Amino acid sequence: MTEEKKPEQRKKRRTATEAASKIGPIAKARTLGVLQSKEEGKPIAYAFIICAYEEIIRAMDIVPHWVENYAGICGAKREAPRFLERAEALSFSRSLCTYALCGLGFDAWREELDEMPPDPPWGGQVRPDMMLGSGQMLCDPRNKWYQAAQHYMPDVPIYNVELLWPPYEEDYDYREVQDYYIKHMVGQLKGLVEFLERRTGRKMDWNRLSELVDLADRTWDIFIEAYELRQAIPCPMGTGDAMNTMVPLTFMLGTQEAYDFYKDLRDELKRKIANKEGIIPDEKYRLIWGGGLPAWFALADFNYFNSKGAVFPVETTYRMAEATYNFDVDLKKISDPLEHIAWRWLKYWTYRHDKARKRPGSHPDIERLIQYIEDYKIDGIVMHLAFSCRTWHLGLIWQLNLLKKVYKDIPSLVLESDIVDISSYNEADTRARIDAFIDTLEAAKSKRR
Amino acid sequence: MAQYFAGVDIGSTMTKVVIMDEAVVASVIGASGTEHRRLANRVMAEALANAGLNFDDITYVVATGYGRINVPFADKQITEISCHARGTSSLLPTARTVIDIGGQDCKGIKLRNGQVVDFVMNDKCAAGTGRFLEIIAEGLGIELEEMGELSLTANNEVSISNTCTVFAEQEVVSKLAEGVPTADLVAGVHKAIATRIYRMVSRLKIEKEVAVTGGGAKNIGLVRALEAKLGYPVLIPPEPLLTGAIGAALLGKDVVQSAAKDGLPLVRSRHPLQEATFFTQN
Repeated sequence: MTEEKKPEQRKKRRTATEAASKIGPIAKARTLGVLQSKEEGKPIAYAFIICAYEEIIRAMDIVPHWVENYAGICGAKREAPRFLERAEALSFSRSLCTYALCGLGFDAWREELDEMPPDPPWGGQVRPDMMLGSGQMLCDPRNKWYQAAQHYMPDVPIYNVELLWPPYEEDYDYREVQDYYIKHMVGQLKGLVEFLERRTGRKMDWNRLSELVDLADRTWDIFIEAYELRQAIPCPMGTGDAMNTMVPLTFMLGTQEAYDFYKDLRDELKRKIANKEGIIPDEKYRLIWGGGLPAWFALADFNYFNSKGAVFPVETTYRMAEATYNFDVDLKKISDPLEHIAWRWLKYWTYRHDKARKRPGSHPDIERLIQYIEDYKIDGIVMHLAFSCRTWHLGLIWQLNLLKKVYKDIPSLVLESDIVDISSYNEADTRARIDAFIDTLEAAKSKRR
Repeated sequence: MAQYFAGVDIGSTMTKVVIMDEAVVASVIGASGTEHRRLANRVMAEALANAGLNFDDITYVVATGYGRINVPFADKQITEISCHARGTSSLLPTARTVIDIGGQDCKGIKLRNGQVVDFVMNDKCAAGTGRFLEIIAEGLGIELEEMGELSLTANNEVSISNTCTVFAEQEVVSKLAEGVPTADLVAGVHKAIATRIYRMVSRLKIEKEVAVTGGGAKNIGLVRALEAKLGYPVLIPPEPLLTGAIGAALLGKDVVQSAAKDGLPLVRSRHPLQEATFFTQN
C-alpha cells in the first residue's frame, strides 16, 4: 500500500517561555468555548479588543467572540486566503483591513451556507446575537466592519461605543477638559449597559461589575510587573512570545484566568533571570518592535532574528496597559465601576502627555519609544508596515523620523507585508532585509566600541 | 608575497567577480541566468584565468547578492547592502547616499563615515528596477543598451501613468501604435522609474553626494531623470556593476587585516572551487 501523501505540516514556532506555549491551547479552548456557549443558548457578542467593555459583558455573562483574534488565527494557520477571496468576490477592496475582510468573507460564506464553511479553523466564527463596535481613534473598521457584516446578518443589532481621549497638544494641559471626556464616556458605557439589558433581558449586577473592574486593574498591574522583568540581560522573553502572551490581556481581561496567567509568567521570568537563562545563549543585539501588527503567518521571523543574535525585550504592539498605581488619579477611590473604567481608559491614553511636553517637538508615542529604548537598553528598532492596517501604517514612518529627530539616530528596519494576507509576504526578501539590518547593527556597535 | 581578495556578487540577472590586491586585477561580468547557482565557480575560474592566478592564490573570498548562499567556495557571506556601502565608500568617498538600481530590486543606502546607518529596499515590485526597463525595451523592440541615449533625443517626454510593469508595457505599446516617437516614450519611462526610486529613497532623507550604482547607473537617460528629481548631479563609479563585488573583496580584506591585527587565526571555508552541489541534478 502506498503511503497517502499528506499536506506539508508547518513546524510550530519555538517559544522561549512555558507561558507562551500555553497560549495556543488556551486560545483554542476559548474559541471552541464560544461554539459550546452558542449551543447552550448563551448570548454571543462580536467584540473588538481594547474596547473598555470587557468587564461589562463578562458581568452580564455575555460571551465575547473576538473578531480580530479569529482573523489573526486564520492568518497564523495560513487559512485566511479563502475567506479573503470570498470578500474580494463580494467587491470589498483588497486594501481594506484584512482582519475585516477575513471576517466578512467568513460571515458571508457562513450565512450563504447556513452552516460553518468547510473545515473552519478552530471550529469557526459563530453567528452572533449582537455586534459591539468600539468607535475611537484607534481604527475605523471598529465600526464600519459591523455595518458591512449587517448586509449578511440584517437581524443582528450593532451597538457602537464611542470612547475618546484628549488628543495631545504640546501647549495645552488636557486636565482642563478631562471631566468632559469622563462624562461623555460614562454616558456611552451606560448606554451600552441599557442596550445589553434590553437585548438579553438580564439586569446588570453592579457589585459583580465592580469586582471585575478591580480584577482588571490588578491584571494590568501584574502584566506590567511581568513585562518589566524583560529588561534583564540576557532577556528571558521576546516579542515573538509576547505576541502570544498578550492574549489574556486583550481577550480575557476581567477573568481570574488572565490574572493567574501573568502571575505565572512573572514567576517563570523571575526563575529564568535567577538562572541567567536568556532567549538565546549569546545575546548580541537588543531590539524593540516599535510598532505595527505582526505578520501572523510569519512569526517564525522572530526566531530568525534570534538565530542572528538579536532579541526583542520589548514591543509597543499589544502592550495596552500601564501600571494603574502610577496614574495621577487613584482608581481605588472611584466607586462607580463605569466611571472607573472611563478614568482608566483616559489615563492610559494620556499617560505620556506630560512627558512629551517637556521635550520640544516630541509626542507621547515618541516618549514611549524613548522610555522603552532606555529602560530595555535597546540597540535598534524594527517596525512592520502591514499594508491593510491604515491605523498603524500611517503613523509608523512619521514616528521613526520624529524619534530620530528629537532623540537619536538609532538603526532601524521597516518590514513590509500584512497581518493576514500572505500574498504580501516574501520570506527570502524579508530575511535579506533582516540580514542587512544585522550588518547595520554590527557596524553601529563596532563604532561605539 | 601579494595577497589577493575576491568578491563574488550574484545578482538576480548578472554575476560579477572581482579579484583585488591593492586595486582590481581582474573582473568578470556575466549573465546569472537560471543556472547561476551552478556557475559561480566558472565565473570565478574565468576571473582567475584573466588575473593569471590559481584559486589557492586567493587569501579570502566574500560572496554577496541574492545568490550569496550558493557560493560554497566563499569564506564568508555578506549582505549586498554592506558590500555596496563598502564599495561605494572606497570608489566615491564623498558619497553619503547610495542608490543601487539592480535587475530585480532597488536599494537606497545612507552612509556615514563609510558605514551603513540606514537603508531601504524595494523587492516586491519590478517597477523601479532593471527588469522594468527590460520589459519595456522588449515591448518597443529596441535593445536595452540603446534606451539611455535614445531618451536624451526626446522632444516631448510622454507621461506614463501606470506604475504596474505589465500595464505600463501595454500603455507604452499602445502609445507607440498611436504614433508617439519611441524616444519620447523611453524618456517617459525613465521619468516614471526615477520618480518611484526617488520616492522610496526619500524615506532615508537623501544627503549629498548621491552615488548611483548597479546596472541602472549605466543608463544615462535614467540617471538624468534621477538627477532632475534630485536637483543636482549624481556620482557614478567607473563600472557601476562591480560596486558590490569590489565592496565584497574589500570587506574580505578587512576581515584578514583585522584577524592579523588581533593575532587571531583566519577562519576559512576551505571548500574547493566547485559548483554548489546541494541542488537536485535531475
